[in-house]
Amino acid sequence: MIIAENLTKTFRDRKRGLVRAVNNLSLNCRPGQIFGLLGANGAGKTTTLRMLGTLLEPTHGNATIAGYDIRENPQEVRRCIGFLSGSTALYGRLTAREMIEYFGQLNNLKGTDLSRRVDELIERLEIGEFQNGRCDKLSTGQKQRVSIARSIVHRPPVMIFDEPTSGLDVMTSQTIMAFIEQCRSDNLTVVFSTHIMSEVERLCDRVAIVHHGIVAAEGSVNELRQQTGETVMENAFLKIVHRMEDTNV
Amino acid sequence: MFSRLSYIVFRKELRETLRDKRVLLGVIVSPLIVTPLILGTVLFFGGKKEMQKMDAILNIGIVEQTAFPELIQKLEDNASIETQRFETRDDVITAVEERIVRAALVVSETARNDFQNNQSVGLEIIFTFANETSQNANNRLRKIIGEFDQYALAKRIQKMDLPESFAKPTSLKVNNIATSASTGSFLLGLFLPYLIVISAAFGGIQTAFDLCAGEKERSTMETLLVSPASRFEIVQGKLFTIFTISLIAALCAITGIVAPLTFGLDILKDTLGDQISIKLSSVLAMLLIVVPLALFTSSMLLVISSFARNQKEAQTYILPFISIVLLPAMLSSIFGAENHLYTAFIPVLNISLTMKQILGDLFNPLYFAISLGSSFIYAYIVMRIATAFFLRENILFRT
Repeated sequence: MIIAENLTKTFRDRKRGLVRAVNNLSLNCRPGQIFGLLGANGAGKTTTLRMLGTLLEPTHGNATIAGYDIRENPQEVRRCIGFLSGSTALYGRLTAREMIEYFGQLNNLKGTDLSRRVDELIERLEIGEFQNGRCDKLSTGQKQRVSIARSIVHRPPVMIFDEPTSGLDVMTSQTIMAFIEQCRSDNLTVVFSTHIMSEVERLCDRVAIVHHGIVAAEGSVNELRQQTGETVMENAFLKIVHRMEDTNV
Repeated sequence: MFSRLSYIVFRKELRETLRDKRVLLGVIVSPLIVTPLILGTVLFFGGKKEMQKMDAILNIGIVEQTAFPELIQKLEDNASIETQRFETRDDVITAVEERIVRAALVVSETARNDFQNNQSVGLEIIFTFANETSQNANNRLRKIIGEFDQYALAKRIQKMDLPESFAKPTSLKVNNIATSASTGSFLLGLFLPYLIVISAAFGGIQTAFDLCAGEKERSTMETLLVSPASRFEIVQGKLFTIFTISLIAALCAITGIVAPLTFGLDILKDTLGDQISIKLSSVLAMLLIVVPLALFTSSMLLVISSFARNQKEAQTYILPFISIVLLPAMLSSIFGAENHLYTAFIPVLNISLTMKQILGDLFNPLYFAISLGSSFIYAYIVMRIATAFFLRENILFRT
């Protein structure tokens, strides 16, 4: 379960002065549900997910993840989440197996529990063939499978995906999307950021359209279509964003 | 202090670092194999050249404006030179220039008279400084003339019925009480501390850049930061990896220099004493004093690497760091081993000077203690700065 209330993040930029990357953003995501953050580049999606992942501290507001406060118990929060983004890479000089083991150890898995869990993931994600190959020698698809294994090695109840298909080919993207659907089936709480409409339409149970750090609209895909009177999600998105900009003007 | 997670991070970073060919080459292979090879090659060929120089028979031109057989006979009898007569001074200058002869001796017109009247005989050596063999010939001529002078002086004294001591107002006996081993250690002290400091300071550069700026560049940093390890534990793991690599670099540098000097190079015996040996206690003391230095420089490297957005940017920030380390390290070559206590407070220089004292058998416990203590304090301060840098999200996520 993720509950975020009025999350705000401001940065001081030499050229632009005080920048409000995320502004009073609230969201509520339940287990067995995929919550999408849909927005253009620079909308504040990554900053929001980084606050939820305790990589950045909110300037205002707060959130709880699996009952843990991100300000008070960041370490516990990190134990409860799996984080996967399109840009996160693997350690090139570790083997696929060592990579998964390393993150298992960081998540307090030891001895036989660790090796059993690593074996299980290697089998499930079909990593066996290249488990002893160095990560820098793997193909993009193989790397992505290792990344998935790395993110779920500690069986997190919450998964955060930050544009996980960015820069991937269609085949690898399909693997990721199937994995996200599997997370929902496994009753995990899933937050997923993207700017690709087809992914939102396929995966998300609820969607928040984020623009300039603000939630412009929230609802299911159908609700957003109905709100705007559009049948195509892309048009619905544009209408909501333009409406918000007009209101601000 | 060092938690389980810090240890896990450290172990992984060390494993990855030791698989990095650049680190292996720079930190282990180069000092242990390349440096001794280069040192051995230079010393071997240098020694061979010196032997050839000593053995070579050199052509010497002679212009005898008046007969001076006392000296000329000595020159002609000397097996290390071959003489050749010339008519004029100009002829012999041309011969030296054209390397027909390597140096020449011009005997003045009044030589014979002057010699017989107990006067100083006018002699002129012609050689060219721009040629090594000519310099060698000049030295050899001077040596023969010097021997002739001694011989002639003894004859004159004898003839005048004076005691031998007449030409020697003092009788000096120089007694060097240093053992050959301690002379070798002293000579090692002239350059070894400098090399150790440089190795300890710069040995961790590649690792430091890879572990922080490199992680940012490859986007693996985010993955690590979102793990349950706290930033303090992560920074500890990374810092101790850089520290370990710096220590290995220093150790390899010591081994790479001392081992070939100790075991293989007889050629150096004349220069550095019969044997170059460092006492075990000295090695231990040097290892102890290098610990805070490696911590200090590792932390500085981590500060640079945390601040940089990528490895290329880190390389541009490295210049001030190089100056901070290089300048005091170079100063240590100028300073003697015995110094005022205040120098024990100057970072890097104090380490270098302490090692110099250890190697020169001038161990001063107070100097050592101050040097060690102050270096640990500096290392602690920079470690805190490195940690603070790592904890600041505006530095870690700088775009």
